[in-house]
Amino acid sequence: MTRAWLLVLLLAAPRPQAPVDFDRDIRPILKASCLKCHGAEGKPKGQLRLDLRAAAFRGGAGGQAIIPGKSADSPLYKLLVDPDDDARMPQKAPRLSTAQIELIRRWIDEGVRWPEDDHGGEQLHWSLRPLARPAVPPSSWGRTPIDAFIAAKLKEKGFEPSPEADRRSLLRRVTYDLIGLPPTPEETDAFLSDPAPDAYEKVVDRLLASPRHGERWARHWLDAVHYADTHGHDQDRPRPNAWPYRDYVVRAFNEDKPYAQFVQDQLAGDVLRPGDPQALVATGFIAAGPWDESSQMHIMADTVDKKIAQNLDRDDMLTATMSTFVGATVQCARCHNHKFDPIPQAEYYALQACFAGVDRANRPFDDDPALNRRRQELLRRRTDLAVRKKARPEPFLDADAERDVAAWEKGRSDSPGVWMVIDADAAESKHGATLTRQVDGSIVSSGLAPDVDVYTITARPSLRRITALRLEALTVEDHPYKGPGREDNGNFHLSEFRLLRSRAEGPPSPVELCNPAADFNQNGWGVAQALDGKPETAWAIYPEVGKSHYAIFELRVPIEVAEGESLVFVLEQLQGRHRLIARPRLSATSMPPPFRIEPLPANVAQIAAVDAAKRSREQKIELAAWVLDLRIRKELDALPAPRQVYAAASDFPPIAKFTPARTPRPIYLLKRGDVTKPGEEIRPGGLSCVPGLEAAFRLADPGDEGARRAALAAWITDPRNVLSWRSIVNRVWHHHFGRGIADSPNDLGRMGAAPTHPELLDWLAVEFRDGGGSLKKLHRLIVTSAVYQQSSAGRADFAKTDASNLLLWRMNRLRLDAEQVRDSILQLSGKIDLTLGGPAVKQFHYEDPNPEVTPKVDYGRYNVDHPDNFRRAIYRWIFRTLPDPFMETLDCPDASLLTGARNVSVTPLQAMAVLNDRFVVRQSEHLAARLAGPDRVAAAYRLILQRAPTAAESAAVGDYMEKRGAANAVRVLLNSNEFMFLD
Amino acid sequence: MMNRREFLGCGASGVGAVALAQLLGSAGLLGQEAKADLNGGVHHRARAKRVIHLFMNGGASPMDTFDYKPELEKRHGQKFDPGAGVRVEAATSTPGAVLKSPYAWKQYGQCGRWVSSVFPHVAERVDDLAFVHSMQSKTNVHGPGVYLQNTGFVLPGFPCMGSWVSYALGRLSDNLPAFVVIPDSRGLPYNSKGSFGSGFLPAVHQATLLRPTAPEPLADLFPPKSPGITPEGEADGLALLNRLNREHLASRPEDSRLEGRIASYEMAARMQLSAPDALDLSKESEETRKLYGLDAKPTADFGTNCLTARRLLEGGVRFVQLWSGTAGATGNWDNHADISKELTFIAMAVDKPIAGLLTDLKRRGLLEDTLIVWTTEFGRMPFSQGTVGRDHNGGVFTSWLAGAGVKPGIAYGESDEWAWKAAKDPVMGYDLNATILHLLGIDHEKLTVRHNGADRRLTDVHGHVIRDLLA
Repeated sequence: MTRAWLLVLLLAAPRPQAPVDFDRDIRPILKASCLKCHGAEGKPKGQLRLDLRAAAFRGGAGGQAIIPGKSADSPLYKLLVDPDDDARMPQKAPRLSTAQIELIRRWIDEGVRWPEDDHGGEQLHWSLRPLARPAVPPSSWGRTPIDAFIAAKLKEKGFEPSPEADRRSLLRRVTYDLIGLPPTPEETDAFLSDPAPDAYEKVVDRLLASPRHGERWARHWLDAVHYADTHGHDQDRPRPNAWPYRDYVVRAFNEDKPYAQFVQDQLAGDVLRPGDPQALVATGFIAAGPWDESSQMHIMADTVDKKIAQNLDRDDMLTATMSTFVGATVQCARCHNHKFDPIPQAEYYALQACFAGVDRANRPFDDDPALNRRRQELLRRRTDLAVRKKARPEPFLDADAERDVAAWEKGRSDSPGVWMVIDADAAESKHGATLTRQVDGSIVSSGLAPDVDVYTITARPSLRRITALRLEALTVEDHPYKGPGREDNGNFHLSEFRLLRSRAEGPPSPVELCNPAADFNQNGWGVAQALDGKPETAWAIYPEVGKSHYAIFELRVPIEVAEGESLVFVLEQLQGRHRLIARPRLSATSMPPPFRIEPLPANVAQIAAVDAAKRSREQKIELAAWVLDLRIRKELDALPAPRQVYAAASDFPPIAKFTPARTPRPIYLLKRGDVTKPGEEIRPGGLSCVPGLEAAFRLADPGDEGARRAALAAWITDPRNVLSWRSIVNRVWHHHFGRGIADSPNDLGRMGAAPTHPELLDWLAVEFRDGGGSLKKLHRLIVTSAVYQQSSAGRADFAKTDASNLLLWRMNRLRLDAEQVRDSILQLSGKIDLTLGGPAVKQFHYEDPNPEVTPKVDYGRYNVDHPDNFRRAIYRWIFRTLPDPFMETLDCPDASLLTGARNVSVTPLQAMAVLNDRFVVRQSEHLAARLAGPDRVAAAYRLILQRAPTAAESAAVGDYMEKRGAANAVRVLLNSNEFMFLD
Repeated sequence: MMNRREFLGCGASGVGAVALAQLLGSAGLLGQEAKADLNGGVHHRARAKRVIHLFMNGGASPMDTFDYKPELEKRHGQKFDPGAGVRVEAATSTPGAVLKSPYAWKQYGQCGRWVSSVFPHVAERVDDLAFVHSMQSKTNVHGPGVYLQNTGFVLPGFPCMGSWVSYALGRLSDNLPAFVVIPDSRGLPYNSKGSFGSGFLPAVHQATLLRPTAPEPLADLFPPKSPGITPEGEADGLALLNRLNREHLASRPEDSRLEGRIASYEMAARMQLSAPDALDLSKESEETRKLYGLDAKPTADFGTNCLTARRLLEGGVRFVQLWSGTAGATGNWDNHADISKELTFIAMAVDKPIAGLLTDLKRRGLLEDTLIVWTTEFGRMPFSQGTVGRDHNGGVFTSWLAGAGVKPGIAYGESDEWAWKAAKDPVMGYDLNATILHLLGIDHEKLTVRHNGADRRLTDVHGHVIRDLLA
């Protein structure tokens, strides 16, 4: 009896148990019973995933599913034991056994041990595996560790490396590769006759030190980040301040900026290194892609279309970032969890949240660091003011603020009372618009909207002495944009504004007006043009439509208006397309000039018109903020004019309906990517699939926009971020060999290509990372390898099993890309202009008559001998939707695409372009004129192909040159396969 | 599907005739031989061999053209209220009052289809047409809308349908390209060339831009006029080039790209012969020229483009896209300000030419294996913008198909009483494009190319073939 009891007690007493082991005990249960609905396939039920550690801990639609230590509170456990058949889990698999349920309970109560580096029990995808320096295999071939890795694989597969290429091929290859240009005859001679054992290395060092190197490799980078000099989309307007970013990239490569810093600059240089103006310029990266001007600037606020545009704008920013720096296709998780890579949808939005506070806009900067610091500080204060106005408005109501406002009002020249509205006696339209006088003194133009019109307004002003006139263009209700113009987009064009005195006798006499000033002038359409006597010029206000505007005109000599005398105001509006002022209003003043125009936003003007004592709290805040802001603006105006770069910007002057965020906009998880179906709000973060790195960003102030980008930059450049370091060395390898070690530089995920030499890739990544991230060192290492220096000749036996040369048993024969073709033709013709940097050159005929639509671009009408045409292709003005047809046929990519690897095509249109394009034809003439000496065929070969012609070639080409001229002969050589391909 | 770049290889060697043909775009996915038993299709039997795609840039108004809405007449001038507290918003304006169509409407043909007075000539052909009155878009903005309808994505950078078709099926002839785009003679549409880009597809599938009424209709077809350049000199130059390239190839026989480039110059030379011929409308009879409206100023430009399109098809072009309307505020189908003024003229410019094209293709038997598609990026609002214009409306619009494999004389889908939203059988651009590919013998779900991590399709992850439209 006692013994029996003892036994029972022993069994019942808690006995020390081995803790639950996740891999042994839990994973099999999850896999067999849960992952069908809560796994990677399809849409996880209740948004709960149990295949990934981070996702499982995060929980699903019902909140946290697993609460460590508390099985009784954990839905995961409670649902396993729910008595309700409809609620009890699993629903799509057999019930768990009591023992299994018990294991889950214990696992939770023991604190949920789940290994951090767990990835669903499957082998980790190659690009996510920890990065360690692999041992260099023993090898008797080659010069560098790279060669040992390649040789080991060749040996394993029964291949052998090819012999070294001949010196001429080698020189052509490495020169085009590192600087994008052919070797000159002098450089060729020097190398071919240099007996030094390090002759090749000397060439490599010379090329890497050349400023041409940065120009060449910047082109690869700009492909990857989809840089262009226009916005793209339907209007595709110019982006004239994009190029400083392009120059930043060129300089970064020439100066061999450490890669981590290069990345950090581009994402958050403005916040991380505020002392360096170029770090701000670098954030042009974020703005490099297309921008939907129509949706951002012209679509009504709060519409679905507007929200879509903002969502897709951030989508582009994060897609470019993750594609360029980490080779991850996070954009595939916008509507659902990534189908192939372990990227939950929430992490896509966490990355969007990193860009929640920026748009693309011009940012002022200064080359002088001290000046730049001062300006950025003032700009920051302006932003801060705007933010505080909403968040913490109290200081705007204190006595100091009141005093400031009062002082400002005293100093105004257009405060109420100064201007007397002129009530018209008559208003006539010349071309049939209906002009109706309103009680507020304005005149509404309605009914028929003629293309052009002249308003003639007659009035007897109550003011006797007049020193100046004010013409307001007020908004109207029945126009899509509320005017103030009657053009479809709300603009007007005032061609001429005239004043006449009409006395009882004699014809009306003109009164001279001068010193015009307006609250806003459209670029190229300033108010002075309303007085210049030229009907083809005018004052206009686009894109500042939808708000009232005004202009002030002084009278050269003040007039005294006699009793009964009338004034006649003539508003000539002759630009066509109903560009008429929808509601003009005239006022006059007796104040002595000069008049200072301070463009008042409509809301401020309204407040200013209210008596100070009667202003509401909100109005006081608004006005005080405006006055304080004005003070900062005056300090800014006193600084020398800044430069501008099109970059990431959290604050900028609003343009039409495009307004700055200033602080991060809230980011929600969008169900199926639909902006009308927002779910929970998402905080900024990176990817949880990168082992050893915290995905969630810990930010002291989530409202600090810049801190979000800085955190992302830190996450990407962390030495533990295995994707970043693999991505960049693979990218560089791709451009040297024409194919990456993993042949999908923008995608190192499961849908991308597997690496042919994973150990080599890892070795390069570690070598590069731990060696300070020097790209020039990496280039040198690669191009001095024996693999790179192999002959490109084919071998039938090897081609049978490795036609694509994946094992690199020879060098790949690469076709010149579009820029190499264009630049080398210019160098060969002697016309090349090697100016470094500067504004983009428009190598096309260009007209921009209407700032509301795409400029007219005609490549066919361009003067091919224009000096701009001789600049290197990196400096071309890249028109996103109107690309250069010549470059396009040579596979220059669509600048709306993130291009990690260009196509290499052969097409009849390409043949026609290289053969017949005016550029090639004209440059061939220049080239022919350069051919000196008795043997012009030999001279042409020496220049174009870096070798002497054979006897047969000499005869054939000589014969053709004789009959058809040297220009046509060199054109044939420029079309030859030997020129177009690098052996 | 095999990755084509992988298949051809970067340093492709000895991949043979099929690869070479693919490199040059004369064969599609499976190479030329494989398609014969499918009547030229890739995945199933093709009904259509060629396509003419007519794109009305700007958003053609359905309720003023093909989708008769008596309700608008009844409620003209009233506040637009679709009921049930539904929010009414317009892209660029504040919604105005209900606006009736300013045009007279009549029924035409055996099928009794209603057509407004802007399309008197197309109206006579309604028995050949299959209307879709329930087209929808995801957007009310031109740029994304034009992209969506042409590429299946609202973002730039994706290949358009013509490029996909070229990629899938290859060229029909070695003398002319597979895919030709003829823009409005006055200029390019919204998104300029982005609207018909080839995206990440090989350059051989780029659109060939043809401007029949321009001084140089096809860029770089011939060298510029220059005293040193003669046809004989050019011919000799090509012969010399061929000789040099052949000698170069002799020591590099394994590289098909080198051979491809040699062949590309031969094809360019053939295009120099064929293209001027296709463009030479003087070979057409007076009656034909009149049929397309070449004798009247308003219709001469688009008529020339339509007639050229027919000649291109005869010359072996597979896919011709014709654009009506340019970017910008006027000269297109974006009639914000005044429907009766703006739409009347742009519709008149295309009405007779399109009707002429349908008549001409039919009498030549070409409509048997040629598909005609008329479409636009979105419709317009049943209420006014300003007083007599209409704002953008992605809610519903009309497209029509005619020719190869299409059931003639029918109407599929319906808009609501206002033509504000699709009411019955909504159709997205994906569905229309899936149907077009289907008629060409292509399964839209199988036509994929991997790019930056995704297997991309013309139809994104959507699209259903509209079986009711098929004959």
